[in-house]
Amino acid sequence: MSAIVISNLTRDYGENRGVFDLSLTVGKSEAFGFLGPNGAGKTTTIRHLMGFIKPKVGTVTIDGRDCWRERDIIQKQLGYIPGEIAFFDDMSSAEFLRFTAKYRGTGNAREKEMLDRFDLSPKGKIKKMSKGMKQKIGIVAAFMHDPEVLLLDEPTSGLDPLMQCRFIDLVTEEKKRGKTILMSSHMFDEVERTCHRIGIIRAGRLVALDTTDALRDKHVRPYTVRLDDEQTASAFAKDFDGRQDGVAVTVSTRQTLEQIFLDYYDVSGGDR
Amino acid sequence: MFNFTLYKREMKKSILTLVIFAGVLTIYITMIVQMFDPEMASILNQFSEIMPGVMTAVGMSGTVTTLIGFMSSYLYGMLLLLFPMVYVVLRAHGLIGKYVDRGSIVALVSAPIKRRAIAFTQMKALASGLFLLVSYITLLEIVCSEVVFPGELEIGSILLLNVGLLCLQLFIGGICFLASCVFNDAKYSVGIGAGVPALMYVIQMLANIGGSVENARYATFFTLFDPDGLIAGETAAIAGIVVLFVGACALFVAAIVVFSKKDLHI
Repeated sequence: MSAIVISNLTRDYGENRGVFDLSLTVGKSEAFGFLGPNGAGKTTTIRHLMGFIKPKVGTVTIDGRDCWRERDIIQKQLGYIPGEIAFFDDMSSAEFLRFTAKYRGTGNAREKEMLDRFDLSPKGKIKKMSKGMKQKIGIVAAFMHDPEVLLLDEPTSGLDPLMQCRFIDLVTEEKKRGKTILMSSHMFDEVERTCHRIGIIRAGRLVALDTTDALRDKHVRPYTVRLDDEQTASAFAKDFDGRQDGVAVTVSTRQTLEQIFLDYYDVSGGDR
Repeated sequence: MFNFTLYKREMKKSILTLVIFAGVLTIYITMIVQMFDPEMASILNQFSEIMPGVMTAVGMSGTVTTLIGFMSSYLYGMLLLLFPMVYVVLRAHGLIGKYVDRGSIVALVSAPIKRRAIAFTQMKALASGLFLLVSYITLLEIVCSEVVFPGELEIGSILLLNVGLLCLQLFIGGICFLASCVFNDAKYSVGIGAGVPALMYVIQMLANIGGSVENARYATFFTLFDPDGLIAGETAAIAGIVVLFVGACALFVAAIVVFSKKDLHI
């Protein structure tokens, strides 16, 4: 059964911005990666899922409920990390988290666990915090009530590499606990490590929708190099993270997301 | 339909502003009440003779022989119109417009709370703050009058006068709140929310001067609040504040509907 269903969603902001005839589904307990460059329409799609904006054309549902009309019911089991964190500047983060838990009425069962996980001490005004700190507060606020569905809009932006890793671990665990996750990103790596399926959006249109494995295979190019002797081959394999087979070493290069986009751009025949 | 946690937060924020406004008003009201004495009244009357235009423009005219008439002229012509109005403009923006402009409204709408309930709670916070302010003004006026001139003030009239003031300020609040809900940009939500009442007040000042511009009073809602009429218990004056109250309700309902249906690009 699909938890998130987007069908024929269109929202035209003019100048080729927005989303156009977008359809995709995310199954229950599935982690879905939503990739695309800045301004591709990822956030617009998520806003529709959150019930912030009403679809002009098409429908958007979560667990069979309409995301616009029944948003308050959907929100009971939803955790959201906004693409741009803007919380109440006048509050300290502890106050904000306490306020959010009471305001939502959905509790804060996992607040302490989340704070520990991200080495966060909820002191100090939100106003004075760095982007990374605010992002962490956003993560805690999204996960503390242990929701069933998670909509994560570029959740690792502003986090240092260590915290990015911890976040990816968290998402992986949540997926195992049966949560439905839609995570947007412009980085292939983090999506690749967490998500089972990936959709690539470009200029508001879905240009690829496949399993992570299939996409990886498509975009990884292996090269086999023959070297003079086994010793050099072994050193080479070590340096370039390749697979050694006698004097032959197979190394693979991964295309950058940019290159992948260009691939899809070419395939679709430059329809812009 | 109502979220107590949010209401508590907003009231906490309102209280600080309210204390400042109440402080300033305390100084003015106690001063003005103490100024009521025949001699001072004659000095003020002299002012009116010297510069009739200026004094009537700010509503300072008419009967100053009774304490309530004196208060009506010198408090309800300008001070008690403008001070609460500034409070209302500030808070109406702070309750919706500012959140939308800064994007922090996301913290309020990404929760299992209906938009209507959010807007209703914010409206209630605005109205409560105003109610507290006007109640404080009323209490202060009665206490001051009773201390300085015992038995001089007609309590019934001052109560009715302040009910009228509350209706007027609620109406202004309705305009600001609606502007706050309609526009996503602080520039417009404050611009319209503060601009319309300010313009209406300027028209009122012009109309007060009388003469050829007297008909301008039909172009401003301030005309519906007639302090002297309320003191005299005139039906037309009471009808005026009823219209203001009904208008305020309509504006608030419109604001809540707009906020519930609007797209939030956050």
